[in-house]
Amino acid sequence: MVRRSVLLIKTGELKVWLRRIFIAFLFFCSIIFLLLSKVENSAVKNLDKAALRVTGPIMQVVEYPARMVHRIYTYLYDISRIYIDNRELRAENKQMLLLQNKVRSLEVENQLLGRLLNYVPPADANFISAKIIAESSDNFTHILFVYIGDEDVKKGQIVLGDESVIGRVDKVSGQYAKVILVTDINSKIPVVVERTRARGILSGDNTVYPALIFTRSTADIQEGDVIVTSGVGGMFPAGLPIGFVNSIQNGEIRVETLADISRVEYVRIVDYGLSEKQAKVLNDFSESEQNAR
Amino acid sequence: MRDSWKEKCRLFWLHSIPLMTTLMMMFMFLIPIDAVKVNYFRPSVGAICVFYWTLKRGYLFSYISAFIVGFFIDSYSSTPLGVNILLMMLTACITQWLAHYFQNASFNAGWFIFSLVCCGIMMIKWLLLSLYFGHLLSFKEIIFNYLATVMFYPLIAAINVGVQKYLPQERINE
Repeated sequence: MVRRSVLLIKTGELKVWLRRIFIAFLFFCSIIFLLLSKVENSAVKNLDKAALRVTGPIMQVVEYPARMVHRIYTYLYDISRIYIDNRELRAENKQMLLLQNKVRSLEVENQLLGRLLNYVPPADANFISAKIIAESSDNFTHILFVYIGDEDVKKGQIVLGDESVIGRVDKVSGQYAKVILVTDINSKIPVVVERTRARGILSGDNTVYPALIFTRSTADIQEGDVIVTSGVGGMFPAGLPIGFVNSIQNGEIRVETLADISRVEYVRIVDYGLSEKQAKVLNDFSESEQNAR
Repeated sequence: MRDSWKEKCRLFWLHSIPLMTTLMMMFMFLIPIDAVKVNYFRPSVGAICVFYWTLKRGYLFSYISAFIVGFFIDSYSSTPLGVNILLMMLTACITQWLAHYFQNASFNAGWFIFSLVCCGIMMIKWLLLSLYFGHLLSFKEIIFNYLATVMFYPLIAAINVGVQKYLPQERINE
């Protein structure tokens, strides 16, 4: 004989109710995750890292055949442009030789002035090259996934593409790292306008052109001005190029990155030797912020 | 005994096919493409798949599958953990309700329904992220994302239709 009820509740109904409770539990979990993310809970961070360990190898495998097809296309495209490129490069080379001489004389001058000012040069930067294995998937996020292998990469290190800053390392998990691009909403970099030394913050807002904010209303900023890191805060060394002013409309300054992020295949993760003292200060700050929360 | 074990494995395999297909397609759409501003035209593959499978084969795509899909989206994007989980769960919830009326709807009808569901989901996502970051995010982004997702629906759905042929038509009694 088949048992049809438990404590006067029909087993069919019981199953339906258990299912509903389970679904409600899953909804509840997602909201809890969201709230814990807001307070930067360490358990959520670890969970995120664990997921990155799983997705990293899969993305690497998926990316390989696509990359091969792209390489063939690029190879054929480059061949079709070889004559034009050659002519352009010859012309460019002539200009570069002139510039080289200028740079040499400036370097000597700089060293002499540095000695006069007792200037301490920054620590020698070490860098590693990392391959991009995936990009962010929608408009709400501007990130890259890179394969770093067994290299020692730390959170906060600078990521360069084509000699200019494109972002910073956000998370490292195993052999993979997540890079937040300068266009991402989470990216805030202290910068300075190279020509006039006007300071500001380059703030990503998930658009192609990040905004230059917190600049003085009287600051002399024009379209085409080069934006470099200011070094304020100690996370980024001063003088690294990021982009140039693309437009100024109604007081809103938009910056175009120098590196064409969408065409970068490999990036350089640079360790500028952020001193232990600075790192400690940053850690202490983030800990105190968490405690305050 | 052996038969029941085999049957259990077969059932597990059948139940995992929609989820595996969804995850594989999500990863495929993460491949770096060297085209300018291509990120603006990347669709939300997860949302399309969750909608499709819940509508067509709801008994093979549970809320746990939607939860896993959302979890992976959150892990590879820089959105806070929980946002996409909540959205995928909501998509599954709304679609399951719609499946009572539109399970056998034509392809075009399905596409139209998806465009409406996707619109609601995108609005919720925009609201959630705006609340999270404490200021209103640019609305232009959400429109691009929405249009790309709706435009890619036929392609993703066509792949899913191909996979669907290998799945059972009716619920299997476990």
